[in-house]
Amino acid sequence: MTTLLDRRGAAIDVDALVEPNRVHRSVYTDPAIFELEMERIWGRTWIYVGHESQVKEPGEYYATTIARQPVVMTRHEDGKIYVLFNRCAHKGAQLVGDRCGKLKEFRCCYHGWRFAMDGKLLSVPLENGYADQPFNKSHADANMRAAPRYDAYRGFVFASLAADGPDLKTWLGGVASSIDNMVDRAPDGELEVAGGVLRYEQDSNWKFFLENLNDLMHPMVVHQSSSLTARVVAKRELGADAPTPSAIEIIAPFTESYTFFDEMGLHAFNYGHGYSGGKTSIHAKYSDVSEYNARMEKAYGAERVKNIFSVNRHNTVFYPSATIKGAIQTMRVVRPLAVDRTLIESWTFRLKGAPDELLQRSILYCNLINSSANLVGPDDQEAYRRQQMGLESEGLTWINMHRDFGKDEDLGEGHLYARGSSDLAFRNQFKAWKHYMSQGAR
Amino acid sequence: MKADAHALHYAVTQFLYHEARLLDEQRWEEWGALFTEDGIYWAPASVDQPDPINHVSLIYEDGLLRKVRLARYKGENAFALQPFPRSTHLIGNVMIDSDAAGVLEVTSRFVMYEYRRDQKQALAGEYKHTLTGENESFRIKRKKVTLVDCEGPREGTSLYF
Repeated sequence: MTTLLDRRGAAIDVDALVEPNRVHRSVYTDPAIFELEMERIWGRTWIYVGHESQVKEPGEYYATTIARQPVVMTRHEDGKIYVLFNRCAHKGAQLVGDRCGKLKEFRCCYHGWRFAMDGKLLSVPLENGYADQPFNKSHADANMRAAPRYDAYRGFVFASLAADGPDLKTWLGGVASSIDNMVDRAPDGELEVAGGVLRYEQDSNWKFFLENLNDLMHPMVVHQSSSLTARVVAKRELGADAPTPSAIEIIAPFTESYTFFDEMGLHAFNYGHGYSGGKTSIHAKYSDVSEYNARMEKAYGAERVKNIFSVNRHNTVFYPSATIKGAIQTMRVVRPLAVDRTLIESWTFRLKGAPDELLQRSILYCNLINSSANLVGPDDQEAYRRQQMGLESEGLTWINMHRDFGKDEDLGEGHLYARGSSDLAFRNQFKAWKHYMSQGAR
Repeated sequence: MKADAHALHYAVTQFLYHEARLLDEQRWEEWGALFTEDGIYWAPASVDQPDPINHVSLIYEDGLLRKVRLARYKGENAFALQPFPRSTHLIGNVMIDSDAAGVLEVTSRFVMYEYRRDQKQALAGEYKHTLTGENESFRIKRKKVTLVDCEGPREGTSLYF
């Protein structure tokens, strides 16, 4: 019998849990492994925090978590963005209780310590109580502590709780081009968060969600009940020759054929990143929005625009905390809460300079696919939940990732390609998982 | 309240109870038929959401999407609906906000209890019904459902609120 599971975490031999083409079931079910993931993966790698447009003006803040630790992204009066731990340097109370807002400064709700938006301590009531003490206002620990590293790529802010590691650009590697393509689709060359956020929790491990994004063997099975039904009902109600409403254009491709998804293809990169599609995806056949092409061509010229639109990717995964759909300007952010509990947030972006219809389409997409009460997602969530429960079974210890193993095409610099039905995306994510988990304590 | 105002309030309240009953008894076709041809079902994702076009919603459905959702309820491959959830709605605080040109604006509060397999959740919020027609022939032009926790992290759900 394989005894790997010390609930205190110490004796877990993580190397033994992942093999090149199979993974031990306990990585999804064991709370001790989850705790180790928080430290070694989520507490080490680059985690998506937010978009610069969420803190446009000095004083604006956006609060979130990294590895369950509260952090706050701010815009200081120097115009720069900071990512700080959201806790008072005094007795630890969270400095902001809301998710976003605008302040002149942080003022702790407990003892009134005031901090600037860059985290620097401004004042302490009755400061003379600290006179002649080793701790005082000018002590480094009197300021809010910043995340050890944070950086932005084209407006997307990431932070790392580890002082050492690859820089953001190096870490993004081949998937930086997915951000490029999303931003390049804006005639003004910039994105901004718009249209609100959808937040939902799943009774399942965070890795199920990330794996599912580029699991191209599931849509035609899981989404029959919504996508196929939408095709049938639309045809019955509207007739075969009527123009397809936007909502049906969005839902119908989820039940494209095995051949379609196989030909979309999979791309994998270092650190667990990857995307599917590229030349085409389930987003490629949406109707044109009038004016948009004209504005793009005016901004970039016809040749460049053709280039930008020739890239059409499905989901790009920035392992482990975020995924975007560049072709329709949406993003989902992942926050693990427990071994069997995960928070997902769905965000939409405005392409600056583009007609409003583009944002409205992104919003419609998220209503239909990402809301907690949508038509398509519940069947995904049911699949994750059944996995979570099924893997409690000791019936089989290993989950196989054998499909097309050894057949990846090596495109150089860590870039692997495989057909859509391959298990490449799973193998690549677990390769990164093992890389982080076997590095020992931070 | 005048006698005819009483009668109108009674008729509207009975209609809201009837609508909730159709949901709880899973009489989907009859429930769908309560809406006008262009009837909208809207559950915002934010309490101060100005419109359903420029901001995401939990649900924003026209007649076609409503027919898709109701057809999905009966589909044999809707795994998230196996076993099928059950619900109970309680409605109160019914007030007619306006009555002009054959269109009624009605605000009420609801509590909904949903159960599926080993999971249960309590939902609560505000209904705003825009009704046309009279007495027993009211039709829903728009039903707007604002959940108290529409902005918070939500559990997945497939039923109409």
